[in-house]
Amino acid sequence: MPQVPYDSRRRNKASRLSRASSLAQGKLVPHEKTADLLRAVLEPGDILCLEGDNQKQADFLAAELAGLDPSELRDIHLVMSCITLPSHIELFKKGMIKKVDFAYAGPQGAAVAELLAAGKFPIGAIHTYNELYARYYIDLTPRVALIAAAKADRAGNLFLAANTEETPAIVEPTAFYDGIVIAQVNEIVDTLPRIDVPTDQVDFVIEAPYPMHLTALFTRDPAAITDTQILMAMIAIKGIYQEYEVESLNHGIGFDTAAIELLLPTYGEELGLKGKICKYWMVNPLPTMIPAIESGWVDTVFSVGGEVGMERYTAARSDIYFTGRDGSFHSNRPMGQLAGHYALDMFIGASLQIDIHGNSSTVSKGRITGFGGAPNMGCQPNGRRHPSKAWLKAGREANPGPGALPGRKLVVQMVETFQAGRVPTFVETLDAQDPSVKSAMQGVAPIMIYGDDVTHIVTEEGIANLGACRTQEERTAAIRGVAGYTPVGLKRSSADTAALRARGIIKLPEDLGVAPARANRGLLAAQEIKDLVRWSGGLYDPPSQFVDW
Amino acid sequence: MEAFQQSFPSHALAWPPSRKWALAGVVGSGNLEVLIEPNPAAPDTVSYSVETPIPGYRDSWLAALSDFSAHYAVGGTTITLHDQGAPPVVVKLRLRQALDLLTSAQS
Amino acid sequence: MSLTPYHELKARERIAVIADAGSFREILPPPERVMSTYLPKLGIPVSFDDGLAIGHATIGGKPVYLAAQVGQFVGGSVGEVHSAKLVGLLKSAARDKIPCVFLIESGGVRLHEGSSGEIGIAEAIRAVFSCRAAGATTLAVIGSDIGAYGGMGILSSCCDFRLMTEHGRLGISGPIVIEKWMGKQAFDSANRALVWKTSGGKTRYVLGDADLLVNDSADSVRAGIISFLSKSAKPDLAMVEARQASLEARLEKFGQISDPDEIWKTCGITDIAAASLAEAEDFAKSFHPQNS
Repeated sequence: MPQVPYDSRRRNKASRLSRASSLAQGKLVPHEKTADLLRAVLEPGDILCLEGDNQKQADFLAAELAGLDPSELRDIHLVMSCITLPSHIELFKKGMIKKVDFAYAGPQGAAVAELLAAGKFPIGAIHTYNELYARYYIDLTPRVALIAAAKADRAGNLFLAANTEETPAIVEPTAFYDGIVIAQVNEIVDTLPRIDVPTDQVDFVIEAPYPMHLTALFTRDPAAITDTQILMAMIAIKGIYQEYEVESLNHGIGFDTAAIELLLPTYGEELGLKGKICKYWMVNPLPTMIPAIESGWVDTVFSVGGEVGMERYTAARSDIYFTGRDGSFHSNRPMGQLAGHYALDMFIGASLQIDIHGNSSTVSKGRITGFGGAPNMGCQPNGRRHPSKAWLKAGREANPGPGALPGRKLVVQMVETFQAGRVPTFVETLDAQDPSVKSAMQGVAPIMIYGDDVTHIVTEEGIANLGACRTQEERTAAIRGVAGYTPVGLKRSSADTAALRARGIIKLPEDLGVAPARANRGLLAAQEIKDLVRWSGGLYDPPSQFVDW
Repeated sequence: MEAFQQSFPSHALAWPPSRKWALAGVVGSGNLEVLIEPNPAAPDTVSYSVETPIPGYRDSWLAALSDFSAHYAVGGTTITLHDQGAPPVVVKLRLRQALDLLTSAQS
Repeated sequence: MSLTPYHELKARERIAVIADAGSFREILPPPERVMSTYLPKLGIPVSFDDGLAIGHATIGGKPVYLAAQVGQFVGGSVGEVHSAKLVGLLKSAARDKIPCVFLIESGGVRLHEGSSGEIGIAEAIRAVFSCRAAGATTLAVIGSDIGAYGGMGILSSCCDFRLMTEHGRLGISGPIVIEKWMGKQAFDSANRALVWKTSGGKTRYVLGDADLLVNDSADSVRAGIISFLSKSAKPDLAMVEARQASLEARLEKFGQISDPDEIWKTCGITDIAAASLAEAEDFAKSFHPQNS
């Protein structure tokens, strides 16, 4: 009789749980028995999910996993969003992984490239965040998920605190498809502030010997913002934020956008833009937004993750931030990315390289970095139907013909023409197009934001409105027009640039009424971290690496 | 270290300048210092002398210096630049600052 | 008046806001091109003033010799030319019995230039004492993130007076050097809070190493400088012995403490968080009992 898969996963889960039953009291497992637990529940061939993104890491469980012997852990299909810790790299060095599907490997980019060259990094695919989370529900559902939470109670309910991040996106598909969820927690308590993950979806809880790793990824010290970045911020505010009345937006972690945040209460106020722009945000709790929030610019902020030091501030500003019934901050990465995709007027971000078609990439030769979440927001949501002023205006510019889409999201790339050390940002061909890079990606060049999705490029030279260009030749001419003295810029024809300028496709600072002489640090609402603490009324607690008092 | 000199035509500076020299910027990472000195012998020419630790960007430098010479009246000066990896936007800013300082009233 | 914080100003901008308007006359100005002969051989860019602007000026109507270091240029380091300019300025000050004010921003000796920088700074320190013996006030103004370290930390400590802002740092070995030799457990140089609480202006003021703590503005620094120009601290044996005794007492009192906050508490500061956030002059007034 042929075996029909009615409930084999459920029966398999039961047998794994019975193998581990002697290690746990209820759902609680002492941290000394973590390796035994992993040996008991894991089987060769498993799809294993290890929680870890660019901020929050199940680092204790990762270290215990990496400490196993290759004979105990093999043929694992690893699925995880970010390969960032040395322990993650160790799994590959030991040959435990038969395949890996992931989204980002920034800090370990060089190590990943080395492993790849040595044939020890068997990539399934490199995803964007939501793309990977989506596959957890389709063809990459984990058998075992190793996750991190702030606290657990004795019944196994979890509290995720500020950094919910991707935990629910891992737990739900695992738990509801007969997988096993193991959580490391900072502490076990009698009563949780609030329950973020119910015990029904959790199989084992381990109180880790040290708190989970959290990176203060979104903290930008205003002291490091340059006059050039302030000039670009002024250009962007006048040429895009004001021009399109951008009400809902996302900011990245760059100093350019930090400059914009710190100019809202000064330059933005002067332009009379308060209440007209920058009201709704999908962004992590950026410390550099404190002055704008305290000046009444911001209505709401939803976040994909928390930020170290912003706990008391966000709790005290529950009109702005999403908070739980306990009063503390709440985040959610997949939902934040979804909001960023469908509900924003604008995505604005930076990049390492932009080519003459407007494609951008953060890949350089010898580093496999992956994508993260930028492409989930830095693209056109053609499933969008609700209008907004900015969306309709960008749509009118782009789509003059009948049957065209009525609106467009503003997808803005904000870059200086040169990176540090006079490395040009604008290039004829991206490093991502290098055959050695493409071969690691099954022949697909790792483009971060596609030129077709980009509406504007902002540099210190001015703005190129790619969305209003009619042909690819025009787009390239517009890009050259704002590429300054890079090799790409030096190839521009002054006649092309003048023609595009006359049509408003290229806008220089003088066309916008931006005076470069005013672009200096005195215009920032806060010039150092301490100013942010003062703006917050003492509610912001910057991490010690940012404190110089 | 790459060094090169180049002269460009430029409208004559308002004469005489109020100072004998002017310095803008500092030699530091991503920055440069610019020294501008009057050269009455060649009133319709500006002579640049550039030292940069990053080789290979001569064309880019000359394009930026050519644009500056065309946009501003700096004829009758010599300008010496000590670079430490400054991007063109900073080069242009320092040139303008040095010129402003040379021609501004004595304080 | 400048709204830019003092610590963000460059050397020549500092001179412009500290000296009386139009009073500064530079000695060996940039067109003289007295520059390092060592750096070009190492492929390091040179600077017209070798990272030090010197000259004479008036501040609040009083004549001074004034020097300002360019911290951005090779870390404000003291090379052969740089130190020769320091020595010459100090010798002029001793000769003319005019105060010598240093706007310091330096990690110390320029190691690229071998022993010439070492010898130069030793000569400069000797010249500081010549000034003091002659009654020409020497004042170290330390208000930048780079601070005064290495040889310039020593030179600063040899001056009659030290004026600091909370951004300024004063020490001998820099944080990274300490971490390198003693380990991250002993001193984490990335922990900026620890670094500033150890060598920053507020702590140096609490310990008595800085004579005055002022706000991070050009006006405050200028006013602070003026307050020292008619004072001097001519050294004698009794003064040196008293300083030795106070340093011994300090070692006794704080030698076992590893948390800088504990030192503040021992000095009578109760609300550490508020004192940390306070502006320098409010801190000096309200939090420090001025008796340690």
